[in-house]
Amino acid sequence: MSFDDSFPPFLESIKSLLEGKLFFVTKEREQGRGSGKWREMPNVVVLDNGGGLCKAGIGGDNNPTAVVPNCLGRPSASKKWLVADQLQACEDLTSATLRRPFDRGYLINPDLQKEVWDRVFRSLLHVDPTASSLLLVEPLFNLPSIQRSTDEIVFEDFGFRSLYVADSPSLVHLYEASHRPDGLLSKAQCSLVVDSGFSFTHAAPVLQNFTINYAVKRFDLGGKALTNYLKELVSYRSINVMDETFLIDDVKEKLCFVSLNVSRDLQIARRRGKDNLFRCTYVLPDGVTHMKGFVKDLDEAQRYLTLPDETLPQPVEKKEDGHPEFSEKPEERKRIDLTKTEFTLTNERFLVPEMIFHPADLGMNQAGLAECIVRAVNSCHPHLHPVLYESIILTGGSTLFPGFAKRLEKELRPLVPDNYQVKITTQEDPILGVWRGGSLLASSPDFEEMCVTKSEYEELGSIRCRRRFFH
Amino acid sequence: MDDEISGSFRRTSSRTRKVASKMVAALASSDNRTQAALARLEALESDNAGPEVIELNDDDDASLDEDDSVHVQKRQSKNTKRRTRQAKALESAKKAPRTFLELLQEANLESLPPHVPSYLRAGVGPPSSTSRRHFCTVCGFTANYTCVRCGVRFCSGRCQNIHNDTRCLKFVA
Ligand SMILES: [Zn+2]
Ligand SMILES: [Zn+2]
Repeated sequence: MSFDDSFPPFLESIKSLLEGKLFFVTKEREQGRGSGKWREMPNVVVLDNGGGLCKAGIGGDNNPTAVVPNCLGRPSASKKWLVADQLQACEDLTSATLRRPFDRGYLINPDLQKEVWDRVFRSLLHVDPTASSLLLVEPLFNLPSIQRSTDEIVFEDFGFRSLYVADSPSLVHLYEASHRPDGLLSKAQCSLVVDSGFSFTHAAPVLQNFTINYAVKRFDLGGKALTNYLKELVSYRSINVMDETFLIDDVKEKLCFVSLNVSRDLQIARRRGKDNLFRCTYVLPDGVTHMKGFVKDLDEAQRYLTLPDETLPQPVEKKEDGHPEFSEKPEERKRIDLTKTEFTLTNERFLVPEMIFHPADLGMNQAGLAECIVRAVNSCHPHLHPVLYESIILTGGSTLFPGFAKRLEKELRPLVPDNYQVKITTQEDPILGVWRGGSLLASSPDFEEMCVTKSEYEELGSIRCRRRFFH
Repeated sequence: MDDEISGSFRRTSSRTRKVASKMVAALASSDNRTQAALARLEALESDNAGPEVIELNDDDDASLDEDDSVHVQKRQSKNTKRRTRQAKALESAKKAPRTFLELLQEANLESLPPHVPSYLRAGVGPPSSTSRRHFCTVCGFTANYTCVRCGVRFCSGRCQNIHNDTRCLKFVA
């Protein structure tokens, strides 16, 4: 388990990769495709197997072939279970029952995972695992028992030729460093990767393409909890959507944002009519004319963007205890609820992502994002501190909320020594960034040498093979 | 009280699948608000916390078997094999609900020497400031009052009435 000081052979290959040889290889592969040459080089399947989404494709490609829910689901009106992309194609997912292979960010149900992978490899990627290698992205600090069962699926159920296991921060660093060869990130060879995933958020310092494991900090809040929290708020306030995961995911993705000033925005959210810049309406699917929900008026939903970052615009004085949301009499409200085809959102839009910054507000005894970053940095050698604060990279679906990076900078600045710069960049595509890093690595010249082969696995077993991956 | 709830790994694992029922039970006992708050945190990490739980407790195997036998007749053998395996996978998901927290306990990470990085050591720990902001569960604004029966927050007499009428001791209205 301890960190080996000897330099692993594949650092060399990463170095050559960063020097641009990789692009040559990628090109060569593309040209070789369709000709006999392609056959000599086996496919590398790159799989970023997240708790929420499974991102899968062929190493060397720019984008994954499949980005599908990592779960099985059964629509309420059906007895048939749908797997991964079948769920995306399904017209009506109202009150669908879900089964996920993942719990709290880790693979706990190998049987369900096999179902999803079978669908992905055979029906979406059209690869023959026995003729392919696999680059698998695994969560940090995976448990040995889970690693063992993962290796079993990879080698025994699917029969892959070889396996390489990577973690997301190192792949994100690799991708960003290779795309900005002149940036500080590449020169200093280090960065701080913030990955806000499905069930947790990690702040992970990376040095020379290795995640500094002993410095990684995690809090247990990600996109799944945010969706569930939004469900709770909407259900409390307007209409019961507790079983509508897919619908509320959509609401969250389209309407939530990060506030730059919560107390100011709470005030604005109580205003009536047009002065309430946050009020917007989401239309529920009616099962007849539209099967999916949608934002009623996009312009209305975007009005909050006109707010200045800091200063409170001239407050429109209203009655102190004015509750615009509940101005009707209770009986009227109930009657409206029964025929509801839409619901309005105001402060929910920013109170939901707010939890990433203050999990304590939910009753969690865990520090939020800014403190998590500071603690991760402080666990590294002091020489690294200024460079890490200057090379913060955001990845993962939950970093997509508008205002995320700005708010983080605002929270982080007072916690960081004045003479250090704070520089935060969001990945071009925070959902695909990890996969793209994996695709780069998979197309490096000696990728195959970094892998554990099926026969090595059969000879040495899971635990000894795993030592090669350094985590 | 609810400020003292610990991080995920101190919650017991067997709870996850029965969140809703636990929550109802916890909410019903007025002297057990901490339990209610814990159950709520659990709910934030579960899938379709409502009716799915009821369905889990029900004996749903029959419908799956039926589903399979229909497919045995209707589909080609290759497909049938797939369906059977899928049914098995779903069944195992139900019968042996191995949660991550169970696996974590088995891994016995506490026994590792303190310098070894692990899931437990990576936990960020409590916030440096213990102040917690409370938002009204009815309208979302800053809430200064607590319901004596269920521990939920509200901001005003108006919201308290709505809470008492429609939400108190119910998870959803
Ligand atoms: Zn209120
Ligand atoms: Zn109450």
